[in-house]
Amino acid sequence: MSQIELRNICKKFENKRILHHVNLLVQEGEMISLLGPSGCGKTTTLKIIAGLMEPDAGDILFNDTSILNIPVEKRGAIIVFQDYLLFPHLTVEENIEFGLKMAKVKKSKRREKVREMIDLVQLEGHEKKYPKELSGGQKQRVAIARALAIEPKVLLLDEPFSNLDTRLREIMREFICDIQRKFKITMILVTHDKEEALMTSSKIAVMLDGEIKQFGTPKEIYERPVSSLVADFFGEKNYVDGEIKEGIFYSIMGSFQTGLHKNGRVRAMIRPEEIEITPKGNIAGIIKNKTYAGEKIYYIIDCNGKRLKCITNGKTFYNIGEKINVYINFDNIVFFER
Amino acid sequence: MYNKLKPYIMLTPVLAVISSVFISGLVMGFLQSLGHFSVIGMKQFTFKYYKEVFMDRGFLESLKFSLYISFVSSVTAVIAGALLAYSILQNKHNKGIEQLLYKLPVIVPHSVAALLAYNMLAQSGIASRILYHMGIINAQTDFPSLVFDKNGAGILFAYLWKEIPFVAMVVYAIWRNMNDQLSEAALNLGANKRQVFWHVLLPLAMPTIASTFIIIFAFSFGAFEIPYLLGPTAPKTLPVKAYIEYTNPDLTHRPYTMAINMILTLISLFLLWLYNKAFQLISKYNHESRT
Amino acid sequence: MGKNMVFKIIFNIFLLLLIFPLFIILLWSFTKIWPWPDLFPKAFGLRGFQYLLNPSNNSLRILGLSIWLSTVVMFIAILISIPAAKALGLYHFKGKGFIKTLILAPIVVPTVAVTMGIHVSFISVGLANTFWGVVIVHLIPCIPYSVRILTDVFEIMGNSMELQARILGANKMQTFFYVTLPMLAPGLITAGSMVFIVSFSQYFLTFLIGGGKIVTFSMVMFPFIQSGDRMMASVYSMVFIWTTLLILISVERIVKSYYKGENYFYL
Repeated sequence: MSQIELRNICKKFENKRILHHVNLLVQEGEMISLLGPSGCGKTTTLKIIAGLMEPDAGDILFNDTSILNIPVEKRGAIIVFQDYLLFPHLTVEENIEFGLKMAKVKKSKRREKVREMIDLVQLEGHEKKYPKELSGGQKQRVAIARALAIEPKVLLLDEPFSNLDTRLREIMREFICDIQRKFKITMILVTHDKEEALMTSSKIAVMLDGEIKQFGTPKEIYERPVSSLVADFFGEKNYVDGEIKEGIFYSIMGSFQTGLHKNGRVRAMIRPEEIEITPKGNIAGIIKNKTYAGEKIYYIIDCNGKRLKCITNGKTFYNIGEKINVYINFDNIVFFER
Repeated sequence: MYNKLKPYIMLTPVLAVISSVFISGLVMGFLQSLGHFSVIGMKQFTFKYYKEVFMDRGFLESLKFSLYISFVSSVTAVIAGALLAYSILQNKHNKGIEQLLYKLPVIVPHSVAALLAYNMLAQSGIASRILYHMGIINAQTDFPSLVFDKNGAGILFAYLWKEIPFVAMVVYAIWRNMNDQLSEAALNLGANKRQVFWHVLLPLAMPTIASTFIIIFAFSFGAFEIPYLLGPTAPKTLPVKAYIEYTNPDLTHRPYTMAINMILTLISLFLLWLYNKAFQLISKYNHESRT
Repeated sequence: MGKNMVFKIIFNIFLLLLIFPLFIILLWSFTKIWPWPDLFPKAFGLRGFQYLLNPSNNSLRILGLSIWLSTVVMFIAILISIPAAKALGLYHFKGKGFIKTLILAPIVVPTVAVTMGIHVSFISVGLANTFWGVVIVHLIPCIPYSVRILTDVFEIMGNSMELQARILGANKMQTFFYVTLPMLAPGLITAGSMVFIVSFSQYFLTFLIGGGKIVTFSMVMFPFIQSGDRMMASVYSMVFIWTTLLILISVERIVKSYYKGENYFYL
């Protein structure tokens, strides 16, 4: 296992900027997520780490040693591809064995390792099957076993769950986390799914437009996003522009006491779940719209001309046009400078 | 009811043409080979012409020569074609060259391919002229006769000129459609370029290569023009021999000719059966091929 | 880096071997005298082309007839292949595998054998030595290509677009002309070109069934090659190749001018 460090990685395709000064430090045995929308440069980053692409500038270090000159086949940064890329002409066993065979490992040793891997990914009885005969989840298990068989320095997972249905996705997520905990493998998970990132990783790097905008623990990223761009990535938000003077936030909705001691033009980020509809509320509003979604109800509330999105648990119902009060605790609100 | 019949109705015109010419041609040929040739009053059914054919040394020589030509040209074409496909894959070329490789051998007919071979390999041809200027030979007659020769060098050259680009394009299409991804996966798992070729690219193209091999083998086995134009007086390839026998004005000789044709057909049908087997292999891997 | 160099060289050798012989016949076609062992013609001339253009030799008339014959073959082959390919590409029915093999068979089974077998029947029904007899017999080696190519296109295309058109109120005719045909256009170019080439370059079939009455360009070219008359053979070969190329380009242009589509030329 290795500690992985990216230093100032840049990459352009036909003058289009794909990666822009990407810096990232992954500790040995850590699992991090590279989170961003499609086309933000996540997969390119993986390919550069694996050596399938060369960066235009910057350096990659495994345990503080540059590995840029090590060719892809010797680098040991193994990708589990999104569509698994199992070799269609090889059986499950032969697929798992592939890397060892390429490294000219002795046959008896290879057998042993394949056995071990088949056990690990619970594919007993499928050894002789061809990829075509496997389900999506099984294919993924083979892909993981194939990567683990050669004891990679780092395991790179490229959108590993996106081709699976919801239930299978949860199972596989658990499975990969188990393996990670068991073997303490350095892992980088590329995903566009915020929940996946939040639930699996000890740290998340949010990537937008080829840049890492924020790198931190899930809690940090969720609760203290550095910009509205990052915040938006974690779900819909309400933004209220205003000004803070001596700890008081002045806005179209009214003025509120905050815990802050700065002054200036700000934008308050209010999460829909932080808006509570209650008679003891500090702001008056009217229900403008309502969407029923089972355990949750989404409301649009007009507060002094500012429309706020609000999510409640489905216990109390309000009707469209009903006058209500909402409570927002401005001590916990994130303010971005404008 | 109509819906069940619909595909058959749609296939009727094509099947009508095929059965009225292709199948009935084969059936007529078969009947004649059995000695049933009503136009000249022969009405028997006998295998004696087949016996006669197999007793004839000339026929056996021709069969051997035909198999030799088809086998050598097809094996060479497949190996060289795969090599060419791989070198196209290794060098990113512009589309124009791909198109050229695609189209040229298709457009140039077999008779012109024979002319190309003749121009290059005859004793008065370009190859002999080049050797003369290099000081390797001193006279036309020093140059080995590579056309009308018993080794069929000219025939092989003409077939290879047509077939290598064909094989290359078919194989290249397979590899290009794999979109580099499987190769990348293999590299990522520690395979070097050579291993990627032998363990991934080649096995994946193998069923296609096999079916292409069968197609070009069968085609060269049954083709007339090139061996007719470039072949030696003896032995002749089977189709040429069949044609020579066909031109025999004695019509009672016809069943003998048709027996040769039927043997030719039978071997081709066997190849067709092999082709279908190869195709089943392709569907086992579940990727497409067009040959 | 070094390895890539090797494959670059291999590629260029192949390219040279492909193009160089063609270049030689181009040279020969304009040659007056080119004795052994010269590497380059001693004198150039246009005698071959003059011969070809001379009306008393009929070569141009024969070229025209060949083009007309192959065009007729192309139209008939495409016309009957479209429904057949659709049936094979979109429907499931009993005997499909067998029919597919049967349609492919003429590529593999020697036309020599088939033609000799059918010759007597053609004579007895009066098709031998006629234009239509030759057209019909040309269909045999052509149909496998047209059906195969169009079947592939139908398989890729599926019938969802046609169904969508029907749902939107198009009748069968409208669906065919406004949806099926335009989507088929690239396949039509490929299939049509292939059929034209196969028919245009037929020698043996025309020779036997045409019986010397129907003479195509392939047939007038043949004796020159056979006799080793390099200059004349090269002139006819050049004309043959250029004619084919021009026809292919026009097929593509004509189809494209009706339907915009990308040409993908595969076999």
